Amino acid sequence: MTTITIELNGESTTAEAEPHESLFRVLRRLGMFSVKYGSATGETGAAAVLLDGALVSSEVVLALQADGHRVTTVESLNTESGLHPIQAAFAMTGALQSGYSAGAMVLGTMALLERNPVPSEDDIRDMLSGILDRETGYVKPVEAVLRAAAVMRGDSVEPFGPLIVPTMTDGTNPATIDPNDGGPTASPAVPRVVPSIDVPEMAVVGKGEVKVDALKLVKGNPAFTDDIELRGMLYAKVLHSPHAYARIVSIDDAAALALPGVHAVLHHGNTPRVKYASGGQSWPNPHPYDQVSFDDTVRHVGDRVAAVAAESIELAEEAVRLIDVTYEVLPAVFDELEAIKPGAPVIHSEADTDEIYDRDRNIVHRFEAERGDVEAAFVAGPNVFEGTFRVHQVQPVPIEPHISIAWLDSDERMIVRTATQVPFHTRRMLAPLIGMEIKNIRVIKPRIGGGFGAKQEMLIEDIVAHLAIATRRPVRLELTREEEFWASRTRHPQTITFRSAVDDDGTLIAQHMRVVGNTGAYGTHGYTVQAVSGLRGLTSYNAPNKRFDCDVAYTNIPIPGAYRGYGAPQAEFALESHMEDIAHALGRDPLEFKRQNWVKLGDEMNMAPHIGERATDGTVELDEYPRVMSSGIEECVAQGQRSIGWHRRLDAAWRQPADRPHIRRGLGFAFCMHGSGIPFLDMGGCSIKINDDGSFNMLVGATDLGTGADTVLGQIAAEVLGVRLEDIIVYSSDTDVTPFDTGAYASSTTYISGTAAKMAAEVVRKRIKERAAEMLGVEEPCTLELHDRSIWAPDGRSVTMEELALHTLHWEDQEQIMGTASFMSPDCPPPFAAQFVEIEVDTQTGQVEVIKMTMAVDCGVAINPITASGQVEGGMVQALGYAHCEEYAYDDEGRMLNDRLGPYKIYRADEMPQTEVFLVQTLEDSGPFGAKAVAEIPKDGVAPAIRNAIINATGVAINNLPFTPERVWSALQSAEV
Amino acid sequence: MHQLVGYHRPESIEDAVGLLDGPNRVALAGGTTIFHDGGGNPVELVDLQSLGLSGISANGSRVEIGATATLQSLADSDVIPDLIRSAAKADQPSTLRSLATVGGSVGAADGDSLLVAALLVHDATVAFADERLVPLEQVLADRLSQGDLIVSVSVASGGPTAMAATGRTPKDVPIVAVVGRVGPDDTRLAACGVGPVPQLVTVGSLGQLDPPGDFRGTAAYRMHLVKVLTARVLGELS
Repeated sequence: MTTITIELNGESTTAEAEPHESLFRVLRRLGMFSVKYGSATGETGAAAVLLDGALVSSEVVLALQADGHRVTTVESLNTESGLHPIQAAFAMTGALQSGYSAGAMVLGTMALLERNPVPSEDDIRDMLSGILDRETGYVKPVEAVLRAAAVMRGDSVEPFGPLIVPTMTDGTNPATIDPNDGGPTASPAVPRVVPSIDVPEMAVVGKGEVKVDALKLVKGNPAFTDDIELRGMLYAKVLHSPHAYARIVSIDDAAALALPGVHAVLHHGNTPRVKYASGGQSWPNPHPYDQVSFDDTVRHVGDRVAAVAAESIELAEEAVRLIDVTYEVLPAVFDELEAIKPGAPVIHSEADTDEIYDRDRNIVHRFEAERGDVEAAFVAGPNVFEGTFRVHQVQPVPIEPHISIAWLDSDERMIVRTATQVPFHTRRMLAPLIGMEIKNIRVIKPRIGGGFGAKQEMLIEDIVAHLAIATRRPVRLELTREEEFWASRTRHPQTITFRSAVDDDGTLIAQHMRVVGNTGAYGTHGYTVQAVSGLRGLTSYNAPNKRFDCDVAYTNIPIPGAYRGYGAPQAEFALESHMEDIAHALGRDPLEFKRQNWVKLGDEMNMAPHIGERATDGTVELDEYPRVMSSGIEECVAQGQRSIGWHRRLDAAWRQPADRPHIRRGLGFAFCMHGSGIPFLDMGGCSIKINDDGSFNMLVGATDLGTGADTVLGQIAAEVLGVRLEDIIVYSSDTDVTPFDTGAYASSTTYISGTAAKMAAEVVRKRIKERAAEMLGVEEPCTLELHDRSIWAPDGRSVTMEELALHTLHWEDQEQIMGTASFMSPDCPPPFAAQFVEIEVDTQTGQVEVIKMTMAVDCGVAINPITASGQVEGGMVQALGYAHCEEYAYDDEGRMLNDRLGPYKIYRADEMPQTEVFLVQTLEDSGPFGAKAVAEIPKDGVAPAIRNAIINATGVAINNLPFTPERVWSALQSAEV
Repeated sequence: MHQLVGYHRPESIEDAVGLLDGPNRVALAGGTTIFHDGGGNPVELVDLQSLGLSGISANGSRVEIGATATLQSLADSDVIPDLIRSAAKADQPSTLRSLATVGGSVGAADGDSLLVAALLVHDATVAFADERLVPLEQVLADRLSQGDLIVSVSVASGGPTAMAATGRTPKDVPIVAVVGRVGPDDTRLAACGVGPVPQLVTVGSLGQLDPPGDFRGTAAYRMHLVKVLTARVLGELS
């Protein structure tokens, strides 16, 4: 140990550090919790601090290197209870979603504005270039910096809020677009809200309220899983398989256990074999249960072999190295089509995994569903088209990796503080694995640094819990960025074939979708992701005859699971590409052809009941099918067409710029449709109680991952109760304290948990009215109204919420006014969207540059237009990565070649296309205040829109993702463009 | 990552040279690669930050860049030629650019480094602590030896320059990039993404390149790119 002295936030501070320790590690030890881990090699920038005033990733600065230097963290701004103007700008503009990297962004802004009080957008984007953000698409952070700069210069600044854009359609029919009308001009960060006459003006709902968690996030206050200190805490590390498929012949842990400071080594030899499926889903979880905590067989590079708990991370790493494992390496298979061929290696031959559909062919699930008679329609159909598409493997890449801390409390109950989207599922699923009863487990979800599906999984909670039992000490496990790549969860690769029969007038008669999904080493989410692919692939367009066939294959790739969009991005890429190809083959305008066939208001969604966890028999005709009860798609299309300059797609001079001979320009479109929760399955609960000052505590099971769920649910309750959002204190997701919720997935929170929040608030409101009626001497409580923090009689008299609270808690007929409700929906109203992109293709190199992305979304009523537009901006950028640059690359043995950010490329701030987001309001009667979902639909349209734009630019259709330069160049070569 | 077991911060070049002469010693310039290089061998770091080597100064038709000048200071300096400034900016994002140094970039000699390619076409020579002055292309060919300490890099200023690159995204590390500069005597071209280190190329020598293929670009594709991009650079310079 060496003693170092740094000037930390203005104060001379000494600390002990080892030569290998990073400044990051020392700052965390000193309590600077705003500094967040993103990767050991510094690419995420989550751990950026100012070193002598310059923004640097503290993960790649050695502590000893910083000796004698000045270090600034965001805590330096937190000397008062208010916010610094930079922090205020980030809070106000919705620039924080999870806020995991908020400290880095605020510090970068500070340093930039000190150097340059009038930064250009390029300067700002350059400053942000080293802070990767998976959530906002950088749109609102850039706006935050511009506004902070203006405030600090003393310029006057307009309040940040939505721009109301007039409607262009009557809501039903297409608009005629004036090519000279460029649409609204405003900062891209400003949500364009297209109002609907159906939607009434409200006090809190529909307003761009500042997020309820903004203060703690923008100040970097300790709020995340890792931001606690527990005496005697041990650090866990996992030994991962170096082989894609192997049997463990022997494990010798003696040398590891002999290392002083090592407290436990767990592996299949000393851990009970309890079968489970790790996907965070409703009881009893889709089978098969094909996993155990530690197995005697490893099925992908990165699979678990053993876990260690030791007194430091370094000791744990050393102990992992000292575990001596002998493997019998087995032949492996990686491709889903190879895996289901006879003679392929059998990946789950163990006797204790039941319910594998065809074990010998690695087919874990097969399912089919049919309406009408597809084969007959293909025989009769005048025009039959077929296309096959291959979609690849990508990663959610939450900037906060998976992290869990477990300990036994004073009652010796198991406490698990964890970065999860599914605390209640985790509690239930964990119990049998660790041999404890559910009642003796408490799962706490603090703030989460993004999840996007990767955390819809009981991924590492069993490891820390096992180790906490073995050592009787708190145990912490955080995955490294590399482990996050090969040992967490990814998007399912698929091979998808669409076949369609079309009448001579362009009407779809039949559509058949066949999917072979690759679920990797284990089946977690394998059933449901592929089911969503079928649902989304066969719901967008009307056809009397539809058929879905699907095989889900085991392979030896790192495990696919949930990733925002679930199976929809795969399906809608294939579908929107296939429909585009049919239109071209028929000589039809693609958008017109799609419009002719897409589902409209009142149309049946005729596959929905037949596919999924609660599907009815896929071949039996039901009496009634769910219908589309709200759709703003024509308005979405019109706003999007105007924004992207859609008329230019036919302008040859624009498509082939004379001064850039190797460039071709193109525009592309995709029709998008998603769901709002899982009908008959997802459920959310909420309870609300009044406090002495007329504020309310609201407990929700819903799991805010940075999405703004707590804020949206609070707005819904505030609207019902006639108070301000700040009067609702939201606490979410603690299995001992809050009601149940299935969790943050399937675009369910606003629609499902939001309805629960509304219902609970209505229970409270009813009782408030009864008591207020007594206080005011009004006979009919239902004649009272709640607004402006008071309860009003028809004659204008009122009592304030505080007076009512004091009266009922302390003065007369004392009671705690409170209400609880939960909600499950039989409906799943679809949000719709029009995705447009503008691109340039370099025909000599194949490089595709995306110039602009516009998405116009009908998400019903946007409860909070700022957070809703943030969801769309961030989702589109993830979708852009899927389409354009992100991919898992492997060697022949199944080892990932690019398990670092950089080689695995996600978009950064200084290379972003322009984006524009429209929120087209419709009133969905079944949703809370008319809301539908918005979280996942932005993932659906970017890839097909880019593909279709490449066709517009070059005439060449590419059916494999992503559109990396060599792939595009090869396709152009084959087509001789 | 290396197993870091010792740390030294010498105050003079002589001390630094002495320290670097020991076994398992590695010079610490900026530190951006130390966290992902190395095979787990124990090493002691010799931190160069206190050697006073971060200066940048114009010297007639050349610019002297101290070995520990950061990429950010290159990008910010108006005496540094524009191509080098933009290459320094392109090589690292904001949070690593104030750490990474020109000496470290030359020492690491990453085959994808635009900065190293830009230095090559600006006739860079590398000055070592033992007063050797070696053309950069020679340093890249020979690689550094144990004990070598770069103290500065000298580049020629002036002359029209051009850059052409192909990447997955606009700011991604290019799959292949070509830079060019018209000097007083000749036009120099350099390419990255076509070998283990960035290298000087000529139109005539492109056929002799033997690029490594990887998931971002096969060898054949890289060969195609270097020809296309070289033609573009020459077209821009003509």
